[in-house]
Amino acid sequence: MLLSHGSLGWKLKSSLYIITGVIAAFLALPIFFIMALSFGSSQWLVFPPPSWTLKWYERFFDNSQWIESAITSLQVASLTSIIATLLAIPASFALVRGQFRGRDYLYTFFTLPMVVPVVIIAVAVYGTFLNLGLTGTLFAFVASHVIIALPFAIISIINSLRLFDKSIEDAAVICGAHRIQAIIKVTFPAIKPGVISAALFSFLVSWDEVVISVMMASPNLQTLPVKMWSTLRQDLTPVIAVASTLLILLSLLIMIIASFVRKQSNHH
Amino acid sequence: MFMISSRKKWNNVTLLFPIILFLFLFFIIPLASLLLRSLTEPTFGLQNFEQLLATSTYVQVLFNTFLVATLVTVISLLIGFPLAWCITLMPKGWGRFLISIILLSMWTSLLARTYSWLVLLQSSGIINKTLMAIGIINQPLEMVHNLTGVIIGMSYIMVPFIVLPLQACMSAIDPMVLQAASICGASARTVFFRIFLPLCKPGLFSGALMVFVMSLGYYVTPALLGGVRDMMLPEFIVQQIQNFLNWGMASASAVLLILITLVLFYLYLKVQTDSPVSSNTGA
Repeated sequence: MLLSHGSLGWKLKSSLYIITGVIAAFLALPIFFIMALSFGSSQWLVFPPPSWTLKWYERFFDNSQWIESAITSLQVASLTSIIATLLAIPASFALVRGQFRGRDYLYTFFTLPMVVPVVIIAVAVYGTFLNLGLTGTLFAFVASHVIIALPFAIISIINSLRLFDKSIEDAAVICGAHRIQAIIKVTFPAIKPGVISAALFSFLVSWDEVVISVMMASPNLQTLPVKMWSTLRQDLTPVIAVASTLLILLSLLIMIIASFVRKQSNHH
Repeated sequence: MFMISSRKKWNNVTLLFPIILFLFLFFIIPLASLLLRSLTEPTFGLQNFEQLLATSTYVQVLFNTFLVATLVTVISLLIGFPLAWCITLMPKGWGRFLISIILLSMWTSLLARTYSWLVLLQSSGIINKTLMAIGIINQPLEMVHNLTGVIIGMSYIMVPFIVLPLQACMSAIDPMVLQAASICGASARTVFFRIFLPLCKPGLFSGALMVFVMSLGYYVTPALLGGVRDMMLPEFIVQQIQNFLNWGMASASAVLLILITLVLFYLYLKVQTDSPVSSNTGA
């Protein structure tokens, strides 16, 4: 009882289901609400909207600031994703395969950027980059985003690497393959889902990052969340709902790809 | 096993070198120099910390930070527990559906979600309008730009971080244990409080600790949904830098925030005995 579906009393079961339904709605509805509002005609975000329109989308796509910030976001997120994954692959190999002391400490060190409050990382990097005159550059955005993307990349690659049986790779080596060749041809295809999700989640972390980006931004170079942030502080215009919808759709797309990759890897 | 051990060590160093160099240059050095500034600016000494503790605003900020973090943790536990329980109980398909809702909410842009709450909670928003239409209230409730807004918005964001570890913990519980208790004559209430809840404790504890730590350092949601009067520690740090260019005060408060965070994280690691790299459980 209490944990088996059949033997729970109907009173407890129905109240639990109702509570869960309400909570699920609480979690999901704000997301759909904002997507619906981006098509609403009301400047004051009245819901339900008096009529439906695409004018906020026109306003978004007519404004070069929104477009440029979206392009910058895409650039920064792609570069962050590539660099974080490339740094995480060798490190994960060393952590999983290596037999040296202090592996746990190193792992904790690599995941530290996930633990330290983002605001502190933002302020710290801002201070250093300000002294070096690097704020407002693409380099500053990418370098700072890689810091917080690394833990996600490391965790997903390590997880898939631990599930891979190293003796398969050793078998390839015994059969005459060079170690590097074996890694590329045997190990890499097996851990590909982990590598892909590392890249996807690094992309998502960067794509959604606000606090660090606000610090790195200059009037000439900003990402989409920075543009949203500075607009939000002035008013709640529905154009932000458009930007939110675009952010949500991209996150959704990436999540679907990630779950697809995971499903494929389960079939093998 | 095919390599000489000294070569293997050399290999590990080369593999780890890029990431360590990167983190050292862009994470450790900036962090260390930020923390050092609390002692060196404007002159060497502890004056920043003295000034911090003497300022009543700062004490208020610290109080707000802990108040919000505590309330958010309690509320998300109360919301997360029935949800995790239900996911464990339900047939697999429904459970997976609920988990994907949680993941969707977790990976949806933070700004988009906060903006959504800003619109929902505003005085002419749909929540106030509905409540007034039903006749529960006559005046719109003030739910944004104050602590209420911050707590609603942050609890919403933190619920997934409770549900995921808690659900993992619950699904590992053997239902037979609970069955045994009830066969032995325990009432549902007794089984719940004396067996089910204690077995959930590791999940509850690690989830709650994670949410508490994250809440202490949260910036975006409090800055947008909160008011000027109830500032939290992260906002205070940013304000000191952006408005007053007072790096000394900012880094003194950063030292405090980071110390609290690391102590709590250490506790979290103690609770989670399973090591992700060394141990072989689950592999």
